[in-house]
Amino acid sequence: MPDIWGLLAIVTKFLLYLGVLTAAGTVFTALLFRLSHYRGLCLTFSGIGLLAAIAAFLLRGANLTGDASGMTDPEMLGLLWGTPVGTALLHRITGLGLLVIGLYAGRIGLWVSAVGGLIAIWSFTHIGHVAGREASLLELTLILHLIVASFWIGILTPLKRLASSPKTWSDAAGLGHKFGLLATVMVPLLIAAGGYMGYELVGSVNTLISMGYGQALILKVVLVCGLLALATANKLRFIPRLRAGDSKASAHLITSIYVEWLVILAVLGTTAVLTSNLTLPT
Amino acid sequence: MIIICATGAIAHSPLKSTIPANDAIISEVPTEVFLGFKGNIRLTRMSMTHADHNAVKMDISGHVGFIKDYVIPIESMGLGIYIINWRGLGADGHALNGTFSFTVE
Repeated sequence: MPDIWGLLAIVTKFLLYLGVLTAAGTVFTALLFRLSHYRGLCLTFSGIGLLAAIAAFLLRGANLTGDASGMTDPEMLGLLWGTPVGTALLHRITGLGLLVIGLYAGRIGLWVSAVGGLIAIWSFTHIGHVAGREASLLELTLILHLIVASFWIGILTPLKRLASSPKTWSDAAGLGHKFGLLATVMVPLLIAAGGYMGYELVGSVNTLISMGYGQALILKVVLVCGLLALATANKLRFIPRLRAGDSKASAHLITSIYVEWLVILAVLGTTAVLTSNLTLPT
Repeated sequence: MIIICATGAIAHSPLKSTIPANDAIISEVPTEVFLGFKGNIRLTRMSMTHADHNAVKMDISGHVGFIKDYVIPIESMGLGIYIINWRGLGADGHALNGTFSFTVE
């Protein structure tokens, strides 16, 4: 069982993933599908991401001293700043900062926000198990994996909003249909990227089954399979019925989106445990 | 949570060797301990616990930068078990920590 610092590290990492991926994903989908009403959501999740990034950095300071004094110890924080942990924080602040600034510059600003989102996502390659491998293909795969995941997260709230009002059911159906087309390319990419990273990091079926890291990875795959099942139901059943004006389809779609959110939170939570507390097989 | 409980071990334990060795039984209290790491690290805290004494902070100020080998002076507290706790930062940004002990009889 991790100590209080270990648990706090997992919580902040979870919030960091949630903040960065939701903020970036909301911008990516707003740009690609020409959506509106994205600013509040982006601001909220950028704020969560920024606070979590700073808290995660300070917690690492506490880890260096074994108590809370490390969170404000200039020597400890200065040491950390000089390592890839500092670089990652810098890129998270820069990325999320750009993302927020872009929100106030109209449609052109969305491109600035998107670049900010990419910088924040890129920061995840600086530290962690993938960074330790020094393999650029693995880093690119991680970025691709995170971009696809952010798209998936980013579409949920706009889709739910549009599906909530009969006036915008046709827009919801149109958005769901377009996203469904995109998903036919993205989902295989997400699975291929996740599979490749899992293979590179774990290495064998035995390790996958016997070690905590492998077991957590299996849990994550099971959860993603659940997400895929929900997404398939959306694409094949609820979206076509919503397009036909079926009011029940709207309720089903909204429920499905809530469940997708819960599963996504579980996936991010599992990932936070996976990346902060479990030993990677050697 | 089950996973956390089952495998909440220290994720990174890069200590290659120590003098005295872990669990060694020796006849005299050494004047210093040696810690050899697999890679470069910066020690950030070290403390020693002996019998009923409170943990004593060890002086690591003689070392700066990221290095593999540390020689740290220790204070004699007589016979008994000495437990050394250390914390440090890997050059890759990972926080590291560990413990080793030896007995003076």
